[in-house]
Amino acid sequence: MAEQEQSESPAESAANEQSKEPAAGKAQGGAGQPKAERPKVLPGGASSQRPGLPEPAAEAKTSDRERPPPGGIADLFAQALPDVKLEAYQGLDSVIIEVSRDDIPQVMQTAKDDPSLDCKFLRSLFGVDYLEDGLEVVYQLVSLEKGHEVVIKTRLTRDDPQVPSVTSVWQGANWHERETRDMFGIIFEGHPHLVPLLLPEDMTDHFPLRKDSPLAEIEEWQGELLGEETGEGKGETKE
Amino acid sequence: MVQQQELETVDININMGPQHPSTHGVFRMVLTVDGEKVIDVEPHIGYMHRGGEKLSENMDYRQGIGYQDRTDYLTQFLNEQAYCMAVEKLTKLEVPERAEYLRVILCELNRITSHLMFIGAFGIDLGLFGTSFMYAFREREYIQDIFEEVSGERMMYGYFRPGGVVWDVPENFVQRVREVLPQTKQGLKDLDMLLTNNEIFVARSKGVGAISAEDAIDWGLTGPMLRASGVPWDLRKDQPYSVYDRFDFDIPIGQYGDVYDRYLVRLEETHQSIRIVEQALEQLPEGPILPEKLPRKLRAPEGEVYAAVENARGEYGIYIVSKGGDKPYRLKIRSPSFSNLSALRTMTIGNYIADAVAILGSVDIVLCDVDR
Repeated sequence: MAEQEQSESPAESAANEQSKEPAAGKAQGGAGQPKAERPKVLPGGASSQRPGLPEPAAEAKTSDRERPPPGGIADLFAQALPDVKLEAYQGLDSVIIEVSRDDIPQVMQTAKDDPSLDCKFLRSLFGVDYLEDGLEVVYQLVSLEKGHEVVIKTRLTRDDPQVPSVTSVWQGANWHERETRDMFGIIFEGHPHLVPLLLPEDMTDHFPLRKDSPLAEIEEWQGELLGEETGEGKGETKE
Repeated sequence: MVQQQELETVDININMGPQHPSTHGVFRMVLTVDGEKVIDVEPHIGYMHRGGEKLSENMDYRQGIGYQDRTDYLTQFLNEQAYCMAVEKLTKLEVPERAEYLRVILCELNRITSHLMFIGAFGIDLGLFGTSFMYAFREREYIQDIFEEVSGERMMYGYFRPGGVVWDVPENFVQRVREVLPQTKQGLKDLDMLLTNNEIFVARSKGVGAISAEDAIDWGLTGPMLRASGVPWDLRKDQPYSVYDRFDFDIPIGQYGDVYDRYLVRLEETHQSIRIVEQALEQLPEGPILPEKLPRKLRAPEGEVYAAVENARGEYGIYIVSKGGDKPYRLKIRSPSFSNLSALRTMTIGNYIADAVAILGSVDIVLCDVDR
């Protein structure tokens, strides 16, 4: 519950309060309240898909995931890492493998060194904020020799956003990890120089790309300016 | 009695930028120098950070195109291409043939203008004052005119749309491009004659700031930076997108990975781009430029996609996390300048201060792309 409280910024709850009035609490009722009281089935199908609200995320986790094609990169990973728990599934255009954060150093080192995987190229590394479902770190690995690619993900909780650094595996991870720390407050343990890169040097307590950071205030202001309709659809404008 | 003292040396910190003509934008690096040798570099970026990834989360899929012009402002068509490809993958839109060809033609012309900009500015970095810049800008302007005729804008084109392009090109488009290409070829030849064998140019760039193929991959370098080190990795060939598999072109690679090789690779790439444009003009079909059934509002299913193009600077990719609805839940821009610039420290340490300028110039950064 503590993390639930944390994820609700004052600005966002204010926005929810406000938008409730014209729409008579339609579909939004649960957003500002603790999880236990939230209705399971939401009225108004379209607005329940709104990004930024916790409910769709919870639904997404239960949905069936397509299994990765046999003989593909997911199987190669499973062979190279027999004693690591890998949860692989087929995304819209690439194979996604979820691993626990404690396995990150081993998985990444093997991904680079194992001749069958050969992921010498770290395309990018970034964070995604899923509010109370935690923060996610996404690694995009590519093998230039073999031409295959894979997305590796790890989930962190909001109150302990720490993950081992992969700078010792790929030097190129250095700036990507610093950027992710700036934007999401994810601490990369073992990073040689984890100081703000894109943000001012003293800005170490605010993480702009987290979903609860105050771009919501601007949305709220836009809603006021444009009237009730846009105020209601915080995540999705009306047609 | 005269006591002999050892000479003491002190390392000095030199602040270069953020306002400095050779930093190509708002970029600061703190050089620690021992005499003339650079022993440490600390790059400081972020002056142009506008939070584009966050802004894109609050714009619907068509509004997001506008931001793509503002990241790498020298290769706007290529960025729009990457963004539109990602949205098309997500919403499963089919792009009509004509639109694909128009995109390829404009993207390759855009690559030429971007490389012309590099060659011109690089000449300045290496002490040629304005000559190369003037040559390059004259040629760039002819192509720039075409872009203006097509999109109505000189810089922020906003011409590509998910599913195609916003409107058809002017009637005389093919003829105009055919007129301009010989001029461009002549201009490139002029620049080639001016720079490639210029004694000063060669002396200042050969053997400077070399990076091995292994290190280049490890640092995540892409584009001409990677190919100059001898790695023939080009998304147009290795992970063909759009209609690039229909054209005959070569991927130039360097041998030593130094500053001079990066220049040569870029110069040769412009010739290859002209080859692609010529073939695309030959094959350009008639037909629609947008899919017949295009929803007024693009709605995406849940899922994650990544689409990348070979930008003039390297791999420019867009990763979209969608939770449904008309806006991305998270949009990540994988910008080539960011990764390329992160290797600056490795390339610069051990060189002279004057070479630091040449090395930075050879990375060919666009600071808006680095900071996003």
